[in-house]
Amino acid sequence: MSSLSQADVDALEVGVKRLEVNYRGIFQKSLAKRITKDLVYVAHSEGKTAFSNGRYSDDPQRNGIPCANFAHISDVMSEEELEGVASAAMDIDKANVIVVLDDTMVKGVEPWGHYGNRPINQKAIPGSVLLVVSKRKPEELVRFLEQKTFTYKIAVLPGIASFAGLWYYRDDGTDVRVLGAIAKVAPDIISLDKSKEYVKKTYGANKVEAVQQGYDSVSVREVQPTEGKVWPFAKPILPAWNNFEEGIAVPAIKRGFKMGPKGQNRNPNFKTGTNRTQRPIVRFDICTKCTLCWYECPDECFDPTQDGLYDINYDYCTGCGRCAEVCPVKECIVMVDELNFDNNNSPWESYKKDSQTYTNWAEEKKGKTRMMPSPVTGKGESYQEVAKPVPIATVKGRKEVS
Amino acid sequence: MTLQALEKGVYEREELLSGTDAVAEAIRLADIDVFSAYPIRPYTGVMDKLAKFIADGKFDAEYIIADGEHSQFEIAKHSSSVGARAFAGSSGTGWLYAMEALAATSTDRLPVVALVGNRALDDPGAFGVEHNDAMLVRDLGWLIVWAATAQEALDTTLIAYRVAEDPKVRMPCAVAIDGGYLTHSEHIVRVPTKEAVKRFLPPYDLGNRRLHPDNPISIAPQINEDWGMEIRRQNWEAAKRAIGVIYKAYQEFQDVFHSEYKNPFFDEFMTEDAETILVGMGTVTAAAKSAVRVLRRKGEKVGYIKLRWFRPFPATELKEALSRCKFVGVIDRDFAHGSPDHGGVLFNDLRAALYRSKNKPTVVDFIAGLAGREISIQDVTGMFKMTRESEDVEDADLVRWIRVRGSAKTEGGAD
Repeated sequence: MSSLSQADVDALEVGVKRLEVNYRGIFQKSLAKRITKDLVYVAHSEGKTAFSNGRYSDDPQRNGIPCANFAHISDVMSEEELEGVASAAMDIDKANVIVVLDDTMVKGVEPWGHYGNRPINQKAIPGSVLLVVSKRKPEELVRFLEQKTFTYKIAVLPGIASFAGLWYYRDDGTDVRVLGAIAKVAPDIISLDKSKEYVKKTYGANKVEAVQQGYDSVSVREVQPTEGKVWPFAKPILPAWNNFEEGIAVPAIKRGFKMGPKGQNRNPNFKTGTNRTQRPIVRFDICTKCTLCWYECPDECFDPTQDGLYDINYDYCTGCGRCAEVCPVKECIVMVDELNFDNNNSPWESYKKDSQTYTNWAEEKKGKTRMMPSPVTGKGESYQEVAKPVPIATVKGRKEVS
Repeated sequence: MTLQALEKGVYEREELLSGTDAVAEAIRLADIDVFSAYPIRPYTGVMDKLAKFIADGKFDAEYIIADGEHSQFEIAKHSSSVGARAFAGSSGTGWLYAMEALAATSTDRLPVVALVGNRALDDPGAFGVEHNDAMLVRDLGWLIVWAATAQEALDTTLIAYRVAEDPKVRMPCAVAIDGGYLTHSEHIVRVPTKEAVKRFLPPYDLGNRRLHPDNPISIAPQINEDWGMEIRRQNWEAAKRAIGVIYKAYQEFQDVFHSEYKNPFFDEFMTEDAETILVGMGTVTAAAKSAVRVLRRKGEKVGYIKLRWFRPFPATELKEALSRCKFVGVIDRDFAHGSPDHGGVLFNDLRAALYRSKNKPTVVDFIAGLAGREISIQDVTGMFKMTRESEDVEDADLVRWIRVRGSAKTEGGAD
């Protein structure tokens, strides 16, 4: 019996459109589910066959961990044929539309059931669209993406990431706006008219405008092969059955601690930094060394230093905001949009090098608006303007431990 | 007891012991570190005896009384993972209550040895022997061995540790003994000396898999679809290697104790020229052997195979042993609802083992002795007769229930 050639396999795929919806675990779980579900219904109403699924290994979800849902749509196949080519896989290899519900995921995603930090546009193919919900300009996002060898598109749907919780869904219209945006960037997959019709029938007439708004407000531009950055991610090689310890015993990290940045031993294979939409920025100059951030951090990301300050290891910080919450000093720890930063370098080292420059840099990154996300406040985001930054404290009068 | 053995100081005494007493003696001799307990008949017998050993200062171990069988087997599993030789035991419904822990013990590849005092599964509440309880772990990576006498229960418990803890195997082992018939009857048993047991059974060493602060490892993490198959494959290889280790262990046992275990996997009784062979496990063996003797005196070419190791299943060895005969009858003290031909577990395993055999005998099945019902010599001679006459057996007669009320055809086996 002959086996299938690559051409045979490719032929099976003809006419299948795939959408990947990248979302933050728990916070956007219901939103992402709704989008892929809506896509299937709209496609179905157009006489196409479709089904949706979630990446099984993402469950059980954790707060903020990058996850993905998929919708598979075909206008030539029967449902059984479509499921035959699409339903047996846990993940997809290529996507026609990659939806990103939180723009900070353009810095890469490390789902907890997988290995390493992967580019968000990993599954892009020539002509596919990366649709990002963001208040940023496309240029600000593109510079974080993996460089591709082909041209594809980036589309930006203006808006902030819609975050909710495990037990509630935040009905802010993001779902139908995304639907409208998809109708714009991929009219061959779903049409605007059918999307509106479906939304009217399912969610009520007052939501139809939001579909149109999503359709109208999305901006699209091409991404050239010269844009983006070379991505260092290499898929790990998994060992053969006779090449790793029996009894499901995995080498663990030896306990180890020394003072200073990255002084605690941590698992290099399981970093959690891509869970983060905001990072804590510390004003070391006004820190009272109360230890609360270090004590309360659920992920043990704070490294004690010789001078009594606490460095942050951003490779492992999930951006939960607990440190900012417990810090008793106003403006000492502030959560700041992750897209403002290019690297995970030690903030304490920068501060030690030049405290003045560091502090100015920190204030610049913080900006004037302070936002506390809804999972922290429990009442939706709250914004506050800062009248003027806390002045830089002089080292004089501080008791530095050497 | 051979004179030679006594002279060498291999055995310390002969004593009248029940099956559970014999297992308790073996636990003492194996110098286990952790004994986890939860009362259930017949495991309570082992608990009593062990408690007395400790109270009398004859033995020292952590004796942990759990709040249920699930915890009991978790305690054994966790003890084993930190390098302690652990023992646990239960029966029937209690064994099932521990099922989650049982499955994890085998996938974690921890060589816990457990006693299953075979007992019918509730409901209705029953204490009598039925093999279904132990068999419920047959597909989970447990080694399962049946002992038929008190002496064998003692010997087998020691051998179980030797096999389970072998670095090539490291799988948990269930020692199954028939509830009532063996657990509650006393026989003269040779009890070895501690020194002799030490010569046979090396100390438990989990090597670099031992959970200890100086050896940081993580056991049994969450995995995704890209690891599970390799882990199952490791299990499978260990089960295959166990066959060779079992041969070796019995050879070593014989070298130290001068006991006679010709074939570790099963005992053959008058099978050399037998035309008709019955295969069974556990205490039915006594009646079966008597039936063979009676029929042999009448000139019938019959034989009996007492299967000892059920997992790993000695398919190759059985294929060889049964290739010489024409008719095989299986005595199943268990049942497998809805299975092929609605037969027993052993019947279906044995038939599968013979499927690729060139000289395939006819195989029929007898469901007998469920929930502790007696199996008499007459019952067994009846089974021999039905097996001998199974040349053109109809599908409906492939599996027969022995001594079940209301069925004239199968009621009683006596001819």
